[in-house]
Amino acid sequence: MTGGTKRDYDGNARAKSAQDLPRGRFHAMFEDFRDELDEHYDRRERIIKASRDVTAQSKKIIFTLQRVKQPNKDFPKGIQQDIDTRLGEISKLLSGITADLQSINRYRYGFSMRCLEELVEALSFSHYLRHQTLITLEETQAAVPADIVLTSHDYMYGLFDLFGEMMRFATVTTAQTGELVGDYERNILGDIQELGCAFEMLPQVPTKDFRSKMEVMRQSINKVEKLGYGLVVRGSERPKGWVPDMKDDDHRPVSPV
Amino acid sequence: MSAPPPSLLDPSIFSSLEAKLEQETQVRDTLSQIVQRLDRAAATAQGLLSRVHSTPRARYPALVAQVEAAVKEEAVIINELEKVASQHPYYKYNNKWSRSIQHAIGTTIYCAWLGGFPSTSSSSEPESASKPAPEIGRLLTLEEVGAIFSVPTNLKDRDAFHLTIEEYLLSLIDLTQDLSRLATNAVTLGDFQLPLTISAFVKDLFAGFQLLNLKNDIIRKRADSVKYEVKRVEDVVYDLSLRGLIQRPTAGDTEMESA
Repeated sequence: MTGGTKRDYDGNARAKSAQDLPRGRFHAMFEDFRDELDEHYDRRERIIKASRDVTAQSKKIIFTLQRVKQPNKDFPKGIQQDIDTRLGEISKLLSGITADLQSINRYRYGFSMRCLEELVEALSFSHYLRHQTLITLEETQAAVPADIVLTSHDYMYGLFDLFGEMMRFATVTTAQTGELVGDYERNILGDIQELGCAFEMLPQVPTKDFRSKMEVMRQSINKVEKLGYGLVVRGSERPKGWVPDMKDDDHRPVSPV
Repeated sequence: MSAPPPSLLDPSIFSSLEAKLEQETQVRDTLSQIVQRLDRAAATAQGLLSRVHSTPRARYPALVAQVEAAVKEEAVIINELEKVASQHPYYKYNNKWSRSIQHAIGTTIYCAWLGGFPSTSSSSEPESASKPAPEIGRLLTLEEVGAIFSVPTNLKDRDAFHLTIEEYLLSLIDLTQDLSRLATNAVTLGDFQLPLTISAFVKDLFAGFQLLNLKNDIIRKRADSVKYEVKRVEDVVYDLSLRGLIQRPTAGDTEMESA
């Protein structure tokens, strides 16, 4: 096999010139395989690229949402705008790969489409802040700005990540307001506990992924529980109106944990 | 805001998640059982095939007949698998069976290589000179394997059970390994022609693999080993020609059929 055939690297348009020199018996067969595999690899590449960008946009939506101060109100204009633009961006990215994810290919590239979990996280967090309820799979599907089927796996693993966001939100707002936020005679501590119970009741999936998500979930709940404890024990010591640095979650400005 | 204070979560959310998880567990269990049986059947076929290393060529037909029967056993189980698997998205569960299917494909193509599953005359390869004796060194295509198992191959626009190109390619790599072992053992049994057939075959396969634009995945890793098999067989051929145990080929390496 000296030389090899010329082909254009990222295109399906391979130069099928008059074939040259010694062709093995299986040449034609392997050429077919090559075309099939190239199609698959190219598709996967497109999906991975888009997925990475969707993940980035979703994360930014989440950062923006963490700047919301009061739940159950319309989001401030700037925040709403920011979310809308990013969702528009996500819509564009996803519609670029919709065709690649139809029929049999939806699950084929499931692993490369982990961005959907991130998107579910953003959508569910936004929904929680706005309505203080848990978004359903159907509502999430409706909110996905593309014609891509959400699997229950995407939904469930996205919700796992909601715990972390609720925990961060609870930490910041508790520090700001001196109480656990929430309406309808519920607060975020009760909510995260209730949600946690619902997950604990699910049949356990024997994968490492599931177990570690459960563990992280429990830690998040635990942190919010300590917030509640802190408020009762020494809540009044905190200077009223003190606003923590919200740039990142690494600072834990609330009562010592 | 309005009258009934919303509760955090609609109970149907988690009851339907629970139902889905339970269903998935059930599907996995069912598949595991079928795959286990397929593994046993493939192991039986593989076990029979391993006898080829101590079987002189004249007795291949008897052995091949046994392997053919074993492959038919595999086919029965694969059809069961197809029925269950096709009710679900193919790629959701395919990792449960792809390895076993790969072994099953492997036993089939090996069996055909040794002269089993003779091609049905008119169709397929024109190159085969219609000899009465079983033709050794024939490569079943993916479609032919699919026909033996009566399952579709390389489905793209329909979500159902099928044999994939990847599974086929991986089983080809397994075949090269076994053939390079066979080359040595054929010589031990006094068959000096078989290594030539094997050598030409493995080289052609190697040339085929070089046509693929492989990414860093399992096929690439495995395909890298083919060149070592080529070398092992070449060494055997070298030993034979050095000692004048085979006729010097007339031209290049296209001697495989020869007199």
